[in-house]
Amino acid sequence: MSKTIVCYKWVKDEADIKVNPDLSVDLSKAKGKISDYDKNAIEAAVQAARLLAGKSIGLTFGTPKTKQSLKDALSRGLEEVCWINTEAAAEADGIVTSKALAAAIKKMDDVSLVICAEGASDTYARQTAPRLGALLQWPVITSVSKIQINGDILSASRKLDDCIETVKVKLPAVIAVLPEICNAPIPGLKAVMAAGKKPIAEYQAGDIGIDFTSKSQVSGLKAYAMNRKNIILEGDTSEKIASLVAALKKEGVL
Amino acid sequence: MAGIYVYSDQSRITAELISFARQTGAAAFALCFSIEQAKAIKDFGADKVYVLQGGSPLVENYGRAVADFLKSQGADLFLVGATARGRDIASRVAGHSDCGMVSDVSSVSWTEGRVSCERLMYGGAVIQEELLSGFCVVSIPAGKFEAETGESSEIVVVEVEADNRVILVDTAPIVREGADLSAADKVICVGLGIEKEEDLQLAKDLADVLGAEIGCTRGISEERHWLPVEKYIGISGAAIKPQLYISMGVSGQVQHVVGIRESKIIVAVDTNEKAPIFRAADYGIVGDLYEIIPLLTRALKKDL
Ligand SMILES: Cc1cc2nc3c(=O)[nH]c(=O)nc-3n(C[C@H](O)[C@H](O)[C@H](O)COP(=O)(O)OP(=O)(O)OC[C@H]3O[C@@H](n4cnc5c(N)ncnc54)[C@H](O)[C@@H]3O)c2cc1C
Repeated sequence: MSKTIVCYKWVKDEADIKVNPDLSVDLSKAKGKISDYDKNAIEAAVQAARLLAGKSIGLTFGTPKTKQSLKDALSRGLEEVCWINTEAAAEADGIVTSKALAAAIKKMDDVSLVICAEGASDTYARQTAPRLGALLQWPVITSVSKIQINGDILSASRKLDDCIETVKVKLPAVIAVLPEICNAPIPGLKAVMAAGKKPIAEYQAGDIGIDFTSKSQVSGLKAYAMNRKNIILEGDTSEKIASLVAALKKEGVL
Repeated sequence: MAGIYVYSDQSRITAELISFARQTGAAAFALCFSIEQAKAIKDFGADKVYVLQGGSPLVENYGRAVADFLKSQGADLFLVGATARGRDIASRVAGHSDCGMVSDVSSVSWTEGRVSCERLMYGGAVIQEELLSGFCVVSIPAGKFEAETGESSEIVVVEVEADNRVILVDTAPIVREGADLSAADKVICVGLGIEKEEDLQLAKDLADVLGAEIGCTRGISEERHWLPVEKYIGISGAAIKPQLYISMGVSGQVQHVVGIRESKIIVAVDTNEKAPIFRAADYGIVGDLYEIIPLLTRALKKDL
């Protein structure tokens, strides 16, 4: 049966990042989440699998903490998830991530379509889909805002900087979808209950057989310094407005 | 030949990348995919301009061809303009070359075969420094370097094979309306806090009084389609540097705020006093935009 794979990433929530006075960054309290736009990609995969009369499978490469994501991913309508579980994922760059994902995809048969989101909300590097194409030797379409599937032909609208392009390809292929491809509905109670019963395949680093050494070495991390006045205008509405107008005049920006 | 190879689908960025490559002291070579593009980029001082020709109208279809070409040339580094198309081809080349890549750097240097760069992480909240050595790919947004003009470069045509599995069916240009936000002196920014498309009028009225341009958050253009995509501000949209930025109904998530950081004065109007936009703002009014904005417009009209 045809398989549609969607790659997703369990990331730290940027809203929980703590910045120390010396601008060092504390990520230890940050909760995890499925990367924002990956949720749209998951829904796109569920819909595409339906059109292909096949199955939708989530694929994630992450540290042991990624386990928390599996049920969430399954409650979004995927039929299975496959998890490459290794501590090495914490340090992985684009080359390692794409090799790990490609290795897992190569273990599955009948894959028609691999879907990635536009980019992950932590790195936002936007490398995975094109790199996967190179590794799998499959054609790739990025910046996809709409798809149509007819038999084994996929047509896509691509939203680029200066044009909308329509392209087509014979499956199997890799696509990277923009969040506007479809909404990512919040799973209902029934879907959450059903998720607990769905199959999970787990691989360890050794099963994947790739070199987990990143090419890019992280040599520093600091918070962006945001120095603003942070003045909240007080009083009743007309006082607030009057103070704002006065302040803007004084700043010389009117 | 060894040296730095550059590509962008926008000539302006190609020129900037050539200028950076030359500053490092390395030989600078520009790639393109048609004679027409070659002519547009030949006067920016590249040692040579290579035209890779293989009969495909899609630049992306040359990913493997570029990787093979760079390998045969013994390239030291491949720099690509970080546009939608540029990021795509850059990552393909990195994939086919089995090499490292850094995307969308905010600064970069290259000495003795080592790249040192900074890039934004977590939507812009964090700056990460990265080091790479050996051949690698770096994508760089527009405006990082000053373009220069130089002697006319020699144009060399190289026949290559394109990957024609993805077929172009149609191209429809996106017609840009109004002024370029990145050059605007004042910007009124609309967020998902506005309820209906008609309510954009509130922003327009305020913009008229101030002589401002209208911008928005990503959701306003991509989910609701109320304003064109070039009007949204943030890490995946426009970066602006106005004297005055006023937001209404914008929560101020970091992915948006990263695009307004260069503003001189930031003003925020939002009902939620805990909205992160207030931490990014100079002046904040906690209140209903439907009440505040018309009053502000009226007050400014009287005053200006
Ligand atoms: C990888 C990635 C890239 C992204 N890139 C961008 C980008 O480039 N640009 C961008 O903008 N976003 C981007 N986002 C999305 C971003 O994270 C936020 O979701 C988005 O900016 C929120 O838009 P908003 O503030 O309009 O909406 P919301 O977060 O929904 O905020 C609406 C605000 O309106 C307020 N409000 C509601 N009613 C009223 C009222 N009557 N009066 C006053 N205030 C009211 C609310 O209190 C709230 O603060 C990106 C996200 C990811 C994951």
